[in-house]
Amino acid sequence: MFGPSGAGKTTTLNILGGMDTATSGEVWVDGKEVTKLKNKELIQYRREDIGFVFQFYNLVQNLTAIENVELATQICKDSLDPKEVMKKVGLEDRMKNFPSQLSGGEQQRVAIARAIAKHPKLLLCDEPTGALDYKTGKQILQLLQDMARKENMTVLIITHNGALAPMADKVIHFKNGTAQDIQKNEHPIPIQEIEW
Amino acid sequence: MKKALRKDTVKEIKNTFKRFLSILLMAFLGVGFFAGIKATSPDMVETIDAFYREQRVNDLQVISTLGLTNEDLEELKSIDEVEEVQGNFSADAKIELENKEIIAKVMTYLPMNKPILLEGKYPETENECVVEKSFLTHLQKQMGDSLVIEIEDTKNDKGEAVPFLQQKEVTIVGIVSSPMYISRDRGTSKLGNGKVDYYLYVSPQNISASEIYTEMNIKIQGTEGLITSEQAYENRVEDVKQNIEAIKQRREQARYEALVGMATKQVEEAENEFLKKKQEAENKIAEAKQEIESAKQELLQGKQELEIQKNKAETSFQQADKQLKQAEFDLAKKEKELTKKEQEANSSFTSLEQQKQSLREQESEIQTGLAQVKQGIAGYEQALQDSSLSEAQKQIIEQQKKKLEEQKEQLEQNKLQVTQGIAQIENGITQGRQELSQGKRQLNEAKKQLQTKKQELTQTKQNTNAKLTKGENDLTTANQKIEQGEQELTKQEEEANTELASAEQKLMEARDEISQIEHPKWYILDRYGNAGYTSFIQDTESVANIGKVFPVVFFVVATLISLTSMTRMVEEQRTQIGTLKALGYNKIQIAGKYLLYASLACLIGGFLGMSVGFVLLPKIIWMMYGMMYQISEIHLNFNWVYGGTGLLLISLCIVGATLYAVMMELIHTPATLMRPKAPKMGKRVLLEKIPFIWKHLRFSQKVTVRNLFRYKKRFLMTIIGILGCTSLILAGFGLRDSIRSILPSQYQKVFHYDEQINLKNNLQQGQKEELIRSLANLEPDEKSQEKTKEELNNQSRMEVKNEKDKSTIVETHMTSGKAISAKGEEEVQFIVPSQAQEIDQVIKLNDIKTKETLTLGPNDVFLSDKAAKLLGVKEGDTLTIEDSNEVKKEVKITHIVENYIYHFVYMAKDLYETMYEEPYETNVLLTKEINLSAEEIMQMPQVASVSQVSSMVEMIQDTMDSLNYVVIVLIVSAGLLAFVVLYNLSNVNISERIRELATIKVLGFYDKEVYSYVTRETVILSLIGILFGLVAGYFLNAFIIGTCEINMLRFSRTIQPMSYVYSALITIGFTLIVNLVTYFSLKKIDMIESLKTVE
Repeated sequence: MFGPSGAGKTTTLNILGGMDTATSGEVWVDGKEVTKLKNKELIQYRREDIGFVFQFYNLVQNLTAIENVELATQICKDSLDPKEVMKKVGLEDRMKNFPSQLSGGEQQRVAIARAIAKHPKLLLCDEPTGALDYKTGKQILQLLQDMARKENMTVLIITHNGALAPMADKVIHFKNGTAQDIQKNEHPIPIQEIEW
Repeated sequence: MKKALRKDTVKEIKNTFKRFLSILLMAFLGVGFFAGIKATSPDMVETIDAFYREQRVNDLQVISTLGLTNEDLEELKSIDEVEEVQGNFSADAKIELENKEIIAKVMTYLPMNKPILLEGKYPETENECVVEKSFLTHLQKQMGDSLVIEIEDTKNDKGEAVPFLQQKEVTIVGIVSSPMYISRDRGTSKLGNGKVDYYLYVSPQNISASEIYTEMNIKIQGTEGLITSEQAYENRVEDVKQNIEAIKQRREQARYEALVGMATKQVEEAENEFLKKKQEAENKIAEAKQEIESAKQELLQGKQELEIQKNKAETSFQQADKQLKQAEFDLAKKEKELTKKEQEANSSFTSLEQQKQSLREQESEIQTGLAQVKQGIAGYEQALQDSSLSEAQKQIIEQQKKKLEEQKEQLEQNKLQVTQGIAQIENGITQGRQELSQGKRQLNEAKKQLQTKKQELTQTKQNTNAKLTKGENDLTTANQKIEQGEQELTKQEEEANTELASAEQKLMEARDEISQIEHPKWYILDRYGNAGYTSFIQDTESVANIGKVFPVVFFVVATLISLTSMTRMVEEQRTQIGTLKALGYNKIQIAGKYLLYASLACLIGGFLGMSVGFVLLPKIIWMMYGMMYQISEIHLNFNWVYGGTGLLLISLCIVGATLYAVMMELIHTPATLMRPKAPKMGKRVLLEKIPFIWKHLRFSQKVTVRNLFRYKKRFLMTIIGILGCTSLILAGFGLRDSIRSILPSQYQKVFHYDEQINLKNNLQQGQKEELIRSLANLEPDEKSQEKTKEELNNQSRMEVKNEKDKSTIVETHMTSGKAISAKGEEEVQFIVPSQAQEIDQVIKLNDIKTKETLTLGPNDVFLSDKAAKLLGVKEGDTLTIEDSNEVKKEVKITHIVENYIYHFVYMAKDLYETMYEEPYETNVLLTKEINLSAEEIMQMPQVASVSQVSSMVEMIQDTMDSLNYVVIVLIVSAGLLAFVVLYNLSNVNISERIRELATIKVLGFYDKEVYSYVTRETVILSLIGILFGLVAGYFLNAFIIGTCEINMLRFSRTIQPMSYVYSALITIGFTLIVNLVTYFSLKKIDMIESLKTVE
């Protein structure tokens, strides 16, 4: 999802993630009308169908990397094994570290691990690289792309960096609070090849 | 401050109203509680001060054991500082009602110590009285009803006994409330069961002996501006007391001399009269003796006369007897002669009779012959007549006839002769007989005469004898009379003597009494002499003491909580502070916002707290005490000193905490400030190093444990806050428990007796023994009587045990006095048991350290523990004791013993005797399980008063109950504090972790899971806080008890297990309420807002 600040990307993501309610219109996810869900159902929807990755990672500082993942898995029915997930994000050696002992990229990887460990239908990422340097950002994007490809997961990424558009399967342009157009990339480019 | 900043502050308050409110609430509670509880005690004192001023209650009171005179009054008046002196009269009275008898204190209605009129009017005439309200309600009496007041006679100025009241029957005309009886305690009496039930006032006109006052009420000059019980007032009173003390001895002596003078005069008068009477009696006796003497003389004369008459009569009787004997003798002679004659005559009569018989035979022969003759004749005549017969024949016949006729003639002649002879004989016999009978008659006559004479003599003798006997009898009677008279005289003499002797005895006794007239003793009492006042002032002191401790805890907790709150606030606004700093605002300007914020909260909260605290707390406490005391409405004051102090303190705490928090931030450079604060590092906790436990914890539990240790400040604050509240609540409960346990402690652990019987002074040993026997239900005739004194001495002189009813009577000597050490002095009660081992049955002397029950050895002195503490003495230390005669002695304390109410010094009899050099004397009996009621005991002549443990317990219980109310105030306030603390901390907790909470909400935690994620920590922290709070509460309780303990009492420092439970439950309750609030706050957390940026 592309667009300038205030275009409505985050609001859309929030509504999609069940964190906010839409004033009008309908949101359907996997045959479920999210806009009509009650509070408790919304929580359940977040719990089971949605994985969230934040710009500032939002790790629980008091929990180790793996515990942050466990925080998510313990409330989920068909969650993945936290250790496996940690391996997947390449942090098997840093599982027992606290967030403060990890770099930004590593923290974001933990955040991603936490999100995907729930095995969500939708993985929503709000500027996942916003607080990261170029190289790390790339690695994170790579990870997200791998997830989408290997785990068959729908991953939604918000970014204001237009250079990233070619890596997406589908690109949504936002402007003035509306989705201006939706482009399908027939041939998405691997992230390694993108430079910005 | 710049306008923008001011605006910002106002907006800040609006935005963070919850925080503002919580700080405001802390200030409110802190100031309100501090100021309110601090002000309560002065308010109470001021209330009683105003009340006493209004009723003109005396500052000092002088009571004398032998009454006070007008001279005393004048002397007292002449003391410079004395403003006014009023003599008053009071006495204990017995009032009989339909179904019961009550004891009332009768006082006179005077302008000083004036009772408040609640209804009706004050007593104006001698037959009017006013009573207290409960008198009417309890006894179902009404205004207008009349009472008969029985009071023991009193002595007037001449020392004569006169009735106390002129008019015993009085009518109730009003209801009053006396300033002298503000509490329920009406004091003790020597009447009835020893307890005064009610008070009443009569008009002073009703007092008979109006010259001898019972007490002098004194008002002191210059007390207008002073408040009762405060130091300045006490000093003033003490000064005047000293001045009165100075004239005391002289006045006592004067009264003594007056009494002795009066008594001496009376004795002299009595003596004169006695002498006069004695003379009279002696005169009378002498007269009577004289009379008896003359009567005796007369009697003697009479006796002599009678003797003479007797002799005379004797002589004449002898002569008469002689004559009579002669006559008798003669008569006997004559009789003899007559008998002889008779015999002779009789023999002649026999012969004569024989002759006569033969004559009669002859005569009858003659008669027969005659008859034959006549027949023959008749036959012849017949034959003659026969014509046939010849003449011849006739002639023969005629011849024959003639022959026959001649024969007949012959015969007739013979017959005549015979007849004559018979007649002669018969005559002779008759004559002889006549003679004889004449002689006999004569003899009989003489006999008769003699008899008559004899009879006459006998008669005379009898008469004379009767006369003599009568005379004798008369004499005897007279003698008897004399004897009787003599006896009577002796009796009368004896009587007179005994009478005189007893009169003399009485005279001697009266003289003795003069020598025994006590030296009057003045008691100069200040207001503390009044039990109600004392307990009231003591209560105000306890309230003041509580005000010393509890607000401190409030302040500490409030400060800590505000510190947390404000630190959080400053942290939240870190970026803003950095921005402002970057913009060029100086530190003061930046800090100003927060200081203003905190100050506003403090000021508003503080003033609200004051206005509520100054009204509510004194009112609540007063309301509770109001049940105990009959004083109208409390005077509420806006006490600026306490209010200001409270506000200053709380401001210092909260604003200071804020300043500290701001300054901690402001030392950083703007750049640092504008960057988000590095999140707190996650840390492993110690527990993780123990895999055995850690591995078994559930994930959420692990999180909780980590979190607990992560927010150390909050961790501490919560624990301290909860700890403070729990300990306050527990201290409140503990105080209640301590108060409650005093009585059971004293009367179950230490004192075991039922009654304390105070004996009258100067009883003989025998009287005491008699009393003890009757108390023990032993008849004096029972075997105990047979026991020798020695036996009694050895076995049970002091404690008579009766197998039947198991009553226990222990003799002791009790006096009150003082114990003095370098640290101070305390009023104590000395108890000297007559038998050291027996005291154990009624008083347990438990060593305070070893808890062992001790026995007084011959040189032992035991001191009760509270006194030991107050005086700062230990076992083995030397203590100065002063008895009621102000004799000071030094003793060595051998043990400190357990005690809870009052102070006691137990001393061995031997030591007492050697120390005071006077023999031990029993004056108090401590009894247990005796089968007599207090009234029955009271009626025994040897008993001065009886105090029953049960009624004593009731009385003390009343006083103690009042402290309970304070405890309730404490518990409620502490609970409120607990609530505020928890609420505040919970708010801080949420605000501090709002990102984390938002994250887990996004992760899909249900509301309940979020709630438990947070509150699990709060609950654990609360539990830890409670746990520590209970421990701290134990010590706080000990500390509070240490500071607010009444000197006379030792609060036991035990807290009931249930109190721990209650304290914990109350805190848990508040935790739950706060958690409920938290639940809704958590629900409201906006995930989007929270996740947007890092602050």
